[in-house]
Amino acid sequence: MSAVAEELASGGVRMALPLLLASSGELLSERAGVLNLSVEGMMLTGAFAGAVGAHQSGSAAVGVLTAIVAGLLFAALQALLSITLRADQIVTGITANALALGATTYGARLAFGDGAGAKSLPGLDPLAIPLLSDLPILGPALFEQTLLGYLAFAVAIALALGFSRRRTAGLAIDAVGEDALAADRSGLPVAFIRYGTVLLTGITAALAGAHLALSEVHAFSDNITGGIGYLAVVAVIAGRWRAWPTLLACLVFGLAQSLQFAAPAIGLHISAPLLTTLPYVFALLAVSGLVGRSRAPSGLTVPFVRAS
Amino acid sequence: MSAPTTTTSPPPESPPSAKPHPTPQPALRTRLHTLPRHPLTVALVAALCAAVVGMVLVVAAGAELGSAWQALEEGMFGSSYAVGSSLNSAAVLALIAAGFTVAHRAGLVNVGGEGQLCAGGTAAAAVGLVLPAQVPTAVGVPLVVLAGFLAGAAWASIAAWLKVKRGTSEVITTLLLNFIGIGMVSLAVHEEALLRQPVTSSETLPQSAPLPTGAQLPLIGDVESPATAVVVIAAVAVLATGIVLRHTALGLRLRAVGHSPAASARLGLPVGRLEGGGLAFAGGLAGIAGAALVATAPYVLAEHFSSGYGFAGLVVGLLARGSLTAVAAVSLLFGFLTSGGINLQLAAQVPASTVQIVQSLLVLFIAAAMLFTTRRPGSRS
Amino acid sequence: MTAALEITGLVKSYGSMRALDGVDLVVEAGTVHCVLGENGAGKSTLCHAVAGSLTSDEGSLLLYGESYAPRRPADALAAGVAMVHQHFSLVSTLTVGENLRLLRLPDLAGRIARVREAYGLVLELDAVAGKLPVGVRQRVEIVKALLRDPRLLVLDEPTGVLGPAETDALLETCRRIAAAGHAVVLVTHKLGEAVRAGDHATVLRGGRVAGGGPMAELSAERLVPLMIGRSVGALDATVAGAVGLEPGAVEPVGPVTVGPGAAGSVPAAVEPRGSAPAALDSAGSAPAAGESAGPVPVTADSAGGGADDGDGQRVGGAALGLSEVTVRRADGTYALDRAALEVGFGEIVGIAGVEGNGQSELMAVIAGSLAPDDGRVVLHGRDLTRAKPAARTGAGLGVVPEDRHHEGCVPELSVAENLHLGRLGEFKRFGVFLDRPALGRATEKVLGEHDVRAPGAFAPMASLSGGNQQKVVIARELALDPLVCLAASQPTRGLDIGAVEAVHARIRAAAARGAGVLVVSAELDELLALCDRVLVAYRGRLLGPVDPRAEGARERIGALMVGADGAGVPAGVGQSPPTRGPSPSKAIGAH
Repeated sequence: MSAVAEELASGGVRMALPLLLASSGELLSERAGVLNLSVEGMMLTGAFAGAVGAHQSGSAAVGVLTAIVAGLLFAALQALLSITLRADQIVTGITANALALGATTYGARLAFGDGAGAKSLPGLDPLAIPLLSDLPILGPALFEQTLLGYLAFAVAIALALGFSRRRTAGLAIDAVGEDALAADRSGLPVAFIRYGTVLLTGITAALAGAHLALSEVHAFSDNITGGIGYLAVVAVIAGRWRAWPTLLACLVFGLAQSLQFAAPAIGLHISAPLLTTLPYVFALLAVSGLVGRSRAPSGLTVPFVRAS
Repeated sequence: MSAPTTTTSPPPESPPSAKPHPTPQPALRTRLHTLPRHPLTVALVAALCAAVVGMVLVVAAGAELGSAWQALEEGMFGSSYAVGSSLNSAAVLALIAAGFTVAHRAGLVNVGGEGQLCAGGTAAAAVGLVLPAQVPTAVGVPLVVLAGFLAGAAWASIAAWLKVKRGTSEVITTLLLNFIGIGMVSLAVHEEALLRQPVTSSETLPQSAPLPTGAQLPLIGDVESPATAVVVIAAVAVLATGIVLRHTALGLRLRAVGHSPAASARLGLPVGRLEGGGLAFAGGLAGIAGAALVATAPYVLAEHFSSGYGFAGLVVGLLARGSLTAVAAVSLLFGFLTSGGINLQLAAQVPASTVQIVQSLLVLFIAAAMLFTTRRPGSRS
Repeated sequence: MTAALEITGLVKSYGSMRALDGVDLVVEAGTVHCVLGENGAGKSTLCHAVAGSLTSDEGSLLLYGESYAPRRPADALAAGVAMVHQHFSLVSTLTVGENLRLLRLPDLAGRIARVREAYGLVLELDAVAGKLPVGVRQRVEIVKALLRDPRLLVLDEPTGVLGPAETDALLETCRRIAAAGHAVVLVTHKLGEAVRAGDHATVLRGGRVAGGGPMAELSAERLVPLMIGRSVGALDATVAGAVGLEPGAVEPVGPVTVGPGAAGSVPAAVEPRGSAPAALDSAGSAPAAGESAGPVPVTADSAGGGADDGDGQRVGGAALGLSEVTVRRADGTYALDRAALEVGFGEIVGIAGVEGNGQSELMAVIAGSLAPDDGRVVLHGRDLTRAKPAARTGAGLGVVPEDRHHEGCVPELSVAENLHLGRLGEFKRFGVFLDRPALGRATEKVLGEHDVRAPGAFAPMASLSGGNQQKVVIARELALDPLVCLAASQPTRGLDIGAVEAVHARIRAAAARGAGVLVVSAELDELLALCDRVLVAYRGRLLGPVDPRAEGARERIGALMVGADGAGVPAGVGQSPPTRGPSPSKAIGAH
């Protein structure tokens, strides 16, 4: 029984880690008023660039760096389109994801040939923290991560604390997402803040992608993210645009995913599609106010124009 | 906005008697003066840029430009098979985009085409599978299509209800309902108690049994062509919505609600009904698209049967910016490009992802340039 | 010494329209410089150019002798220029304190304390900005601007939402800021404020400087012609009210008086009400309590026999009656607190009051966009409390909403569509299609009748000037058949003088036809000249009534507006004592 619980916990944390990373950045973007549907594409780009970097250099660390650079470039494109050019955020988000899928699939043909080279990349190995990793159930789940895994926790918590509403930086982000015109008149650099949050999302999402490719499977395959980026957006919605609830939502979503693998071991029959769908149902209930009060930032998806 | 209302304040120079002032139609003025900013010009330039990138990708993949073009053309127009499957894709896109346009007229952004399509497909499969095997086409097909419409409309009505009654943003709810719809299809085809075909071995695919012949969309055109009645349905739907939006009181009321729900309510229009109805209709058309996908070969409901059509249709709708002519044109372009792309991989060994890249670049270029183009009347940012 | 601000040749165009057309302006440090002008004269554009909210096309600015070209508000703030916006710049979901923290100033608490001490401006830092009354929000705006200790403070129409006492305090604050050596630019369209607070004045008209100089050398009678381009004598009293001109201020110059003389200047198109108002005056000249007998509907005869049963069925027999209407806000306070009023046929009733005292909610309850928690709305005997807007329109209730662009019309649709949106069913071809030619013909007719200047029936509403838009809205509401009551909120806000006259003429004509008219306005002078009775909205209650023609009416209303008049009785008490007539429900039952 405890073996199953251990399996469930470590599986849940494993599933939750990339979500945590991606959604902690996405949360900031959305609070600032930019709905980055392209997190999925950012993650995919990060995973691909990380794999290529690691493959070419033979070093996972280089892979992580290339992932960050690629994620930033991709995020800069998204920011340019949705902030400066005021293009529709839904169109650019969805289309950027399609572009990322097409480009990484195409790129993988060129970089790794047809399938063979992408396997067995130089990856990151788990580092068990002595004593802590011996704790029952949670020990292996939390304290046998790769460096990227520990980084994920650190980044998620740092962003949640650093941009909390109690701090001026967090307040400024909320003001920009809520009423960009008023923020502008208060002297806040609206475009700078929005660019900053989108670029930050690019970094965290790319790290999440690199984590998938380099920490998890040591390989890149087409569409390796498989919708985790969208799930990160949904976690933000389910977390009602607040940091700690969003992180909690990520963990719960991770556990739900993990349950479909752990359930058979305890003789529980739960339909896998049902489990994968539950997070979305939960987010829908949360956003429609059927579970607690919830309100999206007023300026979400609204571009800022100073004067007509 | 505290910036001066440029269009409403009287011109400073003119004495009172000179009102109406001469600046009423900046759009018209811009159009005359700056042809480069015409949406069509922008679309052409965007297409050219995307095509150049495509050529680079083809060469980089080690293929000949000439043979790649030949393969693309072959895949688009080379045979009646190619044309037929292109038309089928275009029709599905057009249905979703036409629905999107109706909802958009009422001021709502329907991101939920994918989920509505899934709901429509699931309902169509459920209805089709309970029909007797020898059901006549004249009965079976309308029933399946109707089931798709109703299910899609009902699926969209969840978002419509939340929007009208609770003020929840339809962008977010319809987005979430997509994933729930996809999950629902997945669930339905994995459970024998639902729509999965009887499991006889471990090889049995998680999909439904095929629909009876009477529920399958009839083919149109010659025997080689896979084009089905969905092409006719889509053409009628696009034409009819175009006429309703343009030439009827209903179209005008939708437009009024889309521009100003408050003023419309003041003037006695049933705002909630118009908004909700617009979104439900959009869902209905997407549902028909789902039914059509299920009622087309191989006539089964399977996981991923929607293959992203819902999202692509949304992009078509947004690019068309309220014009149903543009809906038809962009749908056809995307439909033909998609089936051309499949042949590109088969015949010229160029990755099919090349077409996906070119297509998304085209959309991004157009979206990026929209700021600089003239706005169409009736579209709301 | 160098001027605080020196503007030279400032130009700003929107399309082919020049909002600013070569404006020169010099503001000295230590002074309050008033910028006057009508709506649309370019005042706001000038403010935004100085505060960096928009960039000008041509011209140069010097700030304390240094070249100054703000490209964004942050630049202006960094240069020591702060602006108090007409539309607020507070993020409504944040608290007052959080909004102030957004300024990222060192020693915020100290600054807040210093502003409080220097100017007596006290703030409740934990209150959520969006839930504050407008007057309080305005105060937060001013504190927000002062926290930076600006060298130049720009205030864009700051008094529009303030009561007389708050306005006095604000003007006093302006004086103190100037006394501290800073420069203040006070933008207003109210002459009285300029005369009281300004050292210098510049008048804008049509984007150009029409004149100006030291306030000591200027007087109201010299400023008015500069603002409006014609002499005071030609002005209707109500129009004088619209520019904030107190009758006393212009008495030496022209016949701007309130009373029959003013009524006589109504354009001939309107059936003059003759001496009826005067007769009304004598009938209701007893103070407030006497007024409760209610004026006899002036044009009861012309309204048709059915209009008044004559036996004093007050609520049932009135054109519009509200009883005990109560609206609670989310936070438990009352937006409307047992508000009661009654508008007789042919009568014009005004609602005065500082903005935010329940006027908007009152109109929303009448128009049907807000359901009251308690109380009833009765139109000529029909209970419409829960009726949908369409049913109200059908019953003969015309509504001219407060915000023309938001509720009054759909700017993107054509004039024809706006006029007939509520009854498109009458314009059908082949039973399905919209009959656009018929729509166009009907529209041309209305445009002609109401003297609306529009490029055509199918020109977008947005292409019309504000005055012509309002004429279209009023024409639409007056076209109701029957028209039992017209409820108009801020009907002349933002309009130029000619349009104000036209709108007033229409409102008088509606009353002359026998309809009851309710006018909500922030311009006290407009109400004094237009109405037969004036009620005052104060904290959700309707006080009064006050007879606008009685001696000291202005002062009495002013006192009621700030709740200072202890004698103020709620209108409901004064108007519908239980002894009079059947109760509303009985009246309904009788019909």
